[in-house]
Order: sequence, then structure tokens, then C-alpha cells
Amino acid sequence: MSAQTLRLALVGNPNCGKTALFNQLTGSRQKVANYAGVTVERKEGRLTTPSGRSYAVLDLPGAYSLQAASLDEAITRDFCRGFLPGEKAPDVLVCVVDATNLRLHLRFALEVRELGKPMILAVNMMDAAQRRGIEIDLDLLARELGVPVVQTVAVKHNGAQALVSQIERTAEAPHAPTVQLGEGADLHTETRRLLSLAVSMPRRTAHIDDALDRWLLHPVIGIVAFLLVMFLIFQAVYAWATPLMDLIEAGTGALGEWVGGTLPEGPLNSLLVDGVIAGVGGVIVFLPQILILFAFILALEESGYLPRAAFLLDRVMASAGLSGRSFIPLLSSFACAIPGIMATRSIQDPRDRLATILVAPLMTCSARLPVYALLIGAFIPQKKIGAFNQQGLVLFGLYAAGILSALMVSWVMKKWRRDKGEHPLLLELPSYRVPHPRDLLIGLWERAAIFLKRVGGIILALTVLLWFLLNFPAAPEGAIGPAIDYSLAGRIGHAMAAFFAPLGFNWQICIALIPGMAAREVAVSSLATVYALSAADDDAAAQALAPLISDGWSLATALSLLVWYIYAPMCLSTLATIKRETNSWKQMAYATFYLFALAYLASLVTYQVTKALGGG
Amino acid sequence: MDASLALQYAVIALAVVVSAWVVAKKQFPGTVRKARVALALPLLREGRPAWQRKLGQWIAPQASANGAGSCGGCDGCGPTSKP
Repeated sequence: MSAQTLRLALVGNPNCGKTALFNQLTGSRQKVANYAGVTVERKEGRLTTPSGRSYAVLDLPGAYSLQAASLDEAITRDFCRGFLPGEKAPDVLVCVVDATNLRLHLRFALEVRELGKPMILAVNMMDAAQRRGIEIDLDLLARELGVPVVQTVAVKHNGAQALVSQIERTAEAPHAPTVQLGEGADLHTETRRLLSLAVSMPRRTAHIDDALDRWLLHPVIGIVAFLLVMFLIFQAVYAWATPLMDLIEAGTGALGEWVGGTLPEGPLNSLLVDGVIAGVGGVIVFLPQILILFAFILALEESGYLPRAAFLLDRVMASAGLSGRSFIPLLSSFACAIPGIMATRSIQDPRDRLATILVAPLMTCSARLPVYALLIGAFIPQKKIGAFNQQGLVLFGLYAAGILSALMVSWVMKKWRRDKGEHPLLLELPSYRVPHPRDLLIGLWERAAIFLKRVGGIILALTVLLWFLLNFPAAPEGAIGPAIDYSLAGRIGHAMAAFFAPLGFNWQICIALIPGMAAREVAVSSLATVYALSAADDDAAAQALAPLISDGWSLATALSLLVWYIYAPMCLSTLATIKRETNSWKQMAYATFYLFALAYLASLVTYQVTKALGGG
Repeated sequence: MDASLALQYAVIALAVVVSAWVVAKKQFPGTVRKARVALALPLLREGRPAWQRKLGQWIAPQASANGAGSCGGCDGCGPTSKP
């Protein structure tokens, strides 16, 4: 076997640290593409060892089993066996297992060993295992498995040194595993045997996990605990963010006054003060709320609670026509529907996948939070109901409405297609752990960077364009109405107002709906710009947006707009992703139509009912 | 129109053009790519002066490993088979 052309394939369960190990081995020498004809990502890199040998390293998709249940697993299976069209069979398989979860990962390693190819077992995350008091006898494991076993810590510098040395030795004299299971042997039994021989688990970790799971996975108490956790998150979003939001609002207000006073009167002054600062400042003020929400989500993710929430909700989701596998894509959609829709690739059943794609936009993405926060801040009094903040309760209600609507829509889809089938959920429940502050800070930094990039990119660009459309063409000589009425955007807003009048939307809201299709937060910056430009005087223009709309709109209008944003398909990128993922214009048109129809009907009912009750 | 006002309008025009470009690139990447190719091709033909060929190269979009364009959310491609 020539070391020049040796092909190494990294295989393993999802979340075993395979990709981190791949990055450690190959550094920046990577090429990312797709496997022919499918969307499964193909990552290939080059490893050059200290001896100067060069290897091609492939990071295969994560798989729980070679009995493929998803496209990812089928790719991994076919690649390992050398059946994947256009791909050469690997020379050596590097099976990566998580040292903290050998009960699950060793089973897959046994399956890989049965392929009979030269193989190295990399026991990854050994540092985490040692911290938890898990002891693994690697020599004994190597003897029992009949393959070389090395320890790795993929996230540490030089954490893969033992693996590189072993790769060199295997390249010198590659050989098939010396032990094989007989026909009909049970993988679970063999895994248990290996664990009892080579692994000693601390009683304490397992004890804590079992004790917590007894309560948190209880069919009734677990659901109550889940709802309580969610509820507290939304309370905190309002209770903790206010001081920082006030600070940012005061800062943008002061900046606007300073720029307005420094620059001479004229169009550039208006662009900066009424357009850029009013618009962008109106959105950036919601950064603290977004960060608090994500701090909780990241902490839950790090603690190991989220997979348990997926397990708890599996029955509810199955009865609504979704599978437990839909949980993670739907959860991702709370950040943004686009990665959520793309994450549905892990759902093997095409109908489950389509149902998840179509309801993902109903999850409340972070871009909707500024709109909700603005309207709640303006119309819902900040008072306590018992121990709870009323504004937090309304925000919780809006998120819950999105989730319930998604379940109802998927239930209707299930009835429509007369599908009675259910798909079992296979899920890894990691040990509970206290989230590491460093990981949380990195996650929050990433979220803040994403938000600020949007503010400085698409939101700023749309705000400038909207300001332009709101100012040009100028009012004709002798015009009596406000200049904004004669602008292009003003005319479009007035034309749209007739269609949206039954929902209580005025022409300013109608204008904000259009740029909001590029990014939902832009609806807030657009409203800020529209109101700043249509203000009767400079004092009115300098006011924050919330008091302006609370004076100008009825409660019915505000509630109607809140409901609109639960359903509205107001994000072009999401629709484009639906088209791309389903490869169907029909499905995209269907999603657009049903979301728009739901938004219009729900807003209509909300407005008319609130008005009838005296809120108009 | 005095010089100060003319300068202000020039800055605004520039800001609007750049903003339109950012929005188009983000929201309609496929269309922008096609438009760039259509603009660049005539400039890159044989016999064109060097400065035109250079301009054409500047206008032409970069080759993409994952095929043309993106949805605005990511650069990954969708599946070729319907779910």
C-alpha cells in the first residue's frame, strides 16, 4: 500500500468530535463540496505527518448505525464498503468514539469492525471522561477489539498526536481486525461485555443523571418542568434587558441629536438622522433581549437538557404528525428558519421532512423579537400579575402561539395525507453538566456578531433605500399634504392600505411590511424612519418609536400586527430555502400561500374582535 | 444648486447605489450573478483593449465550488431529489 495515496476515513456517531479531530489533523488544508447528486457535505483534507508522508483524510457524515436510516448514514455505509459511485474505498477507517458515551458509540465501532478493513479506534474526549471519573483501559479494549486503540482530545493542541503516530504504524503494515463477531452475535451484548471489562463508570455521575431524569423525563412532571423553564426564560428576557435597552436607546437618541445639530440642514442630515440613526438605532436596541434569550438556550443546550426536551415532546409531536427528529430543526428555527429548514436533512421520512419544512417558519425566529418587543413595550403595561411580569407573559404567549400553530398545521397535513405511520425516535441523552462560561460567552459572541452584521449589512442598506423612497420624488410646487404622501413609498403605502384596512393597518405599517420581507427586523427600522420623516416637527421626530405608535395606533391594530408576525411569510430568504430544499416551486408557493392566508385571517379576526370589545 | 447641496446629493446617490447593490446581492444572488456574467462577457472578448478586459475580469463573478448563487441564508445547495 503506497503511503502517498493512502485514504483515511473518519467515521463515528454524530457529536463524537469527529469534525474537530478532522480539523486538528488537516488544519486549513480542506476542500468542502457535496457528494455527487445529494446535499450531504463531503469534506476532504490532507494530513502530512512528521515523517513527510501525505494522506487524504475524509470526514464522513455522522452515523448511529451502518443499517442506514437516513441519507447521511447511507453515504457513510456505502463509502466504508467502497460502493459509493465516484469514490475510492478507504484504506484505513478511523472510528471515533466519545469516551463519555461509550455505551452508545462502541456499538457502532463493532459494526465498523465487522467490515473487516484496517481500522484504528480513536477514543476521543478523554479529558472530559477523566474529569467525570470515567476510567478506560485502552490496552484491554485494544486486545478485546483486535484493533489499535488510541486516545485523543480533538479540541486541544496536539490532542491527536497518538492518532498520527498510530496512522504511521498502520500505514507501514495495514491489517484487518484480528477479532470478528460470529454470525448472529448481538452487538448490544458484546458492547456490554466490553464495557464491563474495560470501562469503570463513577457511581456518582450515573446516579445524578438517573435522579434528575426520574423527574425531568417524567411524562407529567417533566412537561410541567419544561413549560416552567420556557416561561422563566421569557420573564427574564423582559426583566433583565430593560436597563441595557434604556442605555442603548439614550445613546442612539443622543447621537441623533448631536449629528442633527452638527450637520447643516439638508438631505444628508435627514438621511443620517431620520434614516440611518432612527432606523438602525430602532433595531439595535433589542440586542440585549436577543442575547438574554440565547444565553438561556445555549445554557440549556450545554447542560444536556435539550435532547431530553426532544424526548419529552416526541409523543406530542408524533400525535401532531411530526417526528421527534423534527425537534432539533424546529428548535434551530427559533434562531432562524433557514438553518432549521436545512437541518431537516437528518429526517429520513420524506413526508415528515416536508411537514417540518413547511411549519418551520411558524417558529418565532430571533428577527421577530424586535417587532414583538416594540409592540409589547408600547401597548402592554409593565405591571405584575402575581409574581409575573405582564409583558413577559405576552411574549411567552406569542412564542407558544407559534408552536401551537405549527402543531395544528402539521396535524392538518397529517390528516390530509391520511398518514397513520409513526417513526421511532433514536436519540442520544448525554450526561448532565454545568455549562462552561467560556462556551456560553463564545456562543453569545457569535449571536451578537450575526445580529450586528445584519444591522450593519442588510438592515442598514434597506433603511437607506427606504429613506430614499420616502423622500423622492419631492412634493410638487403648491402641494398641501405632507411631502411623504407624494413620495414613491408613500404612494405604495397608501395603495396597499386599502387591502390591509380590514386588519387595522395604516399606510405606515403597509410601507414597513415591504422591506420587512428581506429581514423582519427591518419592519421596526422602517417604522422608525417613516414616523421620523412624517413627524410634524423635529421634537416629534426625535421621539423614540414606542411612544409614537402607542399614541397613534389602537390596541386592536397593535394586536393585529403582532398576530400578523406570528404567521406572515415575510422573509424571502426562508422562501428561497424552502424552494431549494424541496426542489419544488409548488411547495414554496404552497408555503407562501398558506402562511399569508393564515396571517391575514388571524389578523382580521384579532382586529375585528378587539375592536368589537372596545379596543379599537 | 450650491456646491454643498450638490455634494450632499452625490453622497446620497452613492449610498443609495451601494445599498441597492447590497440588497440585490443578498436577496437575489442568482440574478446578480447572471447580470454580472452578461456584463462581463462582451468586455472579455478577443480584440478588446486591455483596460476593458481588466474591467470585465473585475465585473465577472468568482467561480463557486458549490454551484451558482445562494439563497441568502447560506451557500449550501439543496437536494436534487424531491423529499
